[in-house]
Amino acid sequence: MKAFRTRKSNMITGVLLCLILFAAGASARAVQAEGKDTVLEVGLFAGSNWDVANANSFVIIDKAIARFEEDHPGVKVHYYSGIRKEDYSEWLSRKLLSGDEPDLFVVLDSDFNLFCSLGILQDLEELIQKDDSFEREQYFSTALKSGEYHGVQYALPYETVPVLMFVNKTLLDREGIEMPGEDWTWDDLYDICSRVSRDTDGDQKLDQYGVCNYGWKDACYANGAALFAENGSAAYLTNPEVSEALRFLRRLEGLSQGDLVTQEDYNHGNVAFMPLNFAEYRTYKTYPYKIKKYDNFEWDCLTMPAGYSGGNISRIDSLVIGISRFSKEKNLAWEFLKLLTYDQDIQTDIFRYSQGASVLRPVTQSEEMEMILLQDMEKGDTVISGELLGTVIENGHTESHFGQYIQAMSMADSRITEIIEGNNLIDTELKILQREIDSILGS
Amino acid sequence: MMDDNTRKRMPSVLQIMLLAVNTIAVSGISGFIYITTMLIRSRYEARAFLNTVSALPHDPKRKFMLSLILMAILVLSFIIRAVSYMRHERLVLFTLLLDAVVSAAAIWNLDFNYNGLILLVFADVIGYVKEGKTRLLLTILAIVSYLLTSYQIISVYTPLYHLDDFIQYYPAGARQYAYIGITLLNSMGIILFVLYCIYLISAQRSQIDEVNRLNHELQSANEQLKEYADVSESMAKTRERNRLAREIHDTLGHTLTGLAAGIDACIATIDTSPELTRKQLSILADVSRDGLKEVRRSVSELQPDSLARLSLEVAIRKMITDMSSVSNVQIFFESDIKNLRFDSDEENAIYRVVQESVTNAIRHGHAKKIWIMMNQKDGVLELRVKDNGIGCTEIVNGFGTRHMRERIEMLGGSLVFEGQNGFTVIAMIPIRWGETYD
Repeated sequence: MKAFRTRKSNMITGVLLCLILFAAGASARAVQAEGKDTVLEVGLFAGSNWDVANANSFVIIDKAIARFEEDHPGVKVHYYSGIRKEDYSEWLSRKLLSGDEPDLFVVLDSDFNLFCSLGILQDLEELIQKDDSFEREQYFSTALKSGEYHGVQYALPYETVPVLMFVNKTLLDREGIEMPGEDWTWDDLYDICSRVSRDTDGDQKLDQYGVCNYGWKDACYANGAALFAENGSAAYLTNPEVSEALRFLRRLEGLSQGDLVTQEDYNHGNVAFMPLNFAEYRTYKTYPYKIKKYDNFEWDCLTMPAGYSGGNISRIDSLVIGISRFSKEKNLAWEFLKLLTYDQDIQTDIFRYSQGASVLRPVTQSEEMEMILLQDMEKGDTVISGELLGTVIENGHTESHFGQYIQAMSMADSRITEIIEGNNLIDTELKILQREIDSILGS
Repeated sequence: MMDDNTRKRMPSVLQIMLLAVNTIAVSGISGFIYITTMLIRSRYEARAFLNTVSALPHDPKRKFMLSLILMAILVLSFIIRAVSYMRHERLVLFTLLLDAVVSAAAIWNLDFNYNGLILLVFADVIGYVKEGKTRLLLTILAIVSYLLTSYQIISVYTPLYHLDDFIQYYPAGARQYAYIGITLLNSMGIILFVLYCIYLISAQRSQIDEVNRLNHELQSANEQLKEYADVSESMAKTRERNRLAREIHDTLGHTLTGLAAGIDACIATIDTSPELTRKQLSILADVSRDGLKEVRRSVSELQPDSLARLSLEVAIRKMITDMSSVSNVQIFFESDIKNLRFDSDEENAIYRVVQESVTNAIRHGHAKKIWIMMNQKDGVLELRVKDNGIGCTEIVNGFGTRHMRERIEMLGGSLVFEGQNGFTVIAMIPIRWGETYD
């Protein structure tokens, strides 16, 4: 009888323990659900993604939060405001390690592929499918592609920045050269550069140049060359488009007769062309930076010149935002993500308070955008047209940031600069470089 | 060889060790991952670390806690099972099922970095199942699922975090210890499982041997018993013969000797002294009566137990209650004779007939009701034993019926059997009413 009683009490203890565990779990959930507001955590950094000064870092997000909290009573959106861009990746990684990452967060180019492969980001395809009010076509396809990994949408673009060619209109006028059209080519570029590269003050030294900062990557993209396989498994440096681009660059640099042409020369009005990204353009043109940066000359911007085998293609960079795969509030996170990236009001604010361009076609190509830009301009400046900006973004080239991208790219950067400046056979040199980079990628 | 006690305790010792190894492995691995992430965080090496991993455990602290809770449930369920083994079949089954679910959750929680729990669960289930073939099947199933759920296989299909990534974070020296620890735990789990299976198989074999041995012993004991029975039966026969011989010699011999001598004397004196002879004869009559008494006493010693001690009616009633109590049969007894007292040979015969008929009615007729009736008709006692059993159309004379018939015929009576409507035994016994001695 005693033994029986102990057995019975054992059984009861076991059952009770299970019940307590269940109850504890359930009540914890219930308390969480009832007691407090749902908190949506957002991860972002202060300042600009394009390393230009930005005084209005949080204006857009604050506005979006206010709207979101009004539309969703009982929901609070929270973000940490003190993280600099250079600390952001480590900050987010630490959060990811301990499993308390924000529900949605900005993903840097250099983190995007890694985060996707680690399964950190939520596959958005299902959310997109379910959402009837969402159309991918509203986005620039190139911008949308920045949030894609192996054909699956893992993040949505928030802001994008294309590279544009800046033209010193005053200099061209002085030389009697007409502004090239939007579909201009390397031949046009070379022709103009050779005409403007000359000695103006008669000291037998060149003091007026054709182009500065036109890099090998700009040339390659314009010539339709992809530098790496999208997943980073191989380099494509031996493709004919690459060597053609480098041969053109060698020819172009020959025009400056060995002089190093810098942005300083452009600022002083002595250079006809300089590629500049849209964020730099915005800060360059606006008060107070323009005063200390450029002398009095009129300028305009243009597409990048088309290569022989490519088109008027320029690099575009987009800042993307993704949702954590482990977020408990995926639907809310999706709503907020949509507000940030898909809402035309908020996206228009990008032109007001940030330096990039909106990722939405209707916003970037609107007259309102041009009006906003005009407010920052001085009389006589030409406002970049929405049409042009849209075309540049739509035709842009997005670089995939795979695991060893930075390593491989910095190696290619330094070696290709040497190759252009040197006299060796470009194809041979590229073959050697390709082998070296492939060994980095393979490891 | 191990003694019995060690052998009985062995499986639970192996099971406890297996449980301990698994508990250490599961909590150790999740704890190690948790501590390592804390270390990486505190050193601000998170981003660099992410570059080296294939997947991330989400919230390692929670995973660690969950591991501890799940292992606690496993230990608790093991204790419950140990306490209630063989008594609460359902409870044991429930805990086994619980173990399977909890282990699956724990393996899932560890992203298949450790799957030795499968062996633990199967060890418990195999120990519980008694049937040899099922055991073999389960053992094979255990090994197959152990192999199929290994990290190397599962990680092909879905991204899983890898314990190795976390070990690689440490410098080479520390790594060695981690690898040694993991290898030890893994192989300990396998070795214990194999040992346990070997133990179960050998235990089963020795169990079979034991049963065979006992069976053999039982058989020989049975044969011996039969011999003993034969011997003791013949001994009893001899003893009984001797006793009869002694009785005859002591009583009848004595009396008859005396009678013979007395009669001889009478023959000598009958002509000369008839008076004396008459006296002598009446003495001889007394002697012969005494002898008769002696004979009766001897006979009564040979009577059945009940009859020796009890009157016929009481003996029959006692037999009825005894029979009713041992079998599910209703027996009715009625008699219109006032005083059921007869000579002992008659009582004996009546008792035997009743006993034999009732026995037959139950054994062969499968009767549920039996009626015993006695009445007197012209100095003849009619004894009827009727039952509601299956009866029989053709009466086969067995030993019992032949015996009955002999007994009745010895008393000058007759015995009839009727096989319709159950079975009826009718005995007609001419009773020596007047010659009752008291």
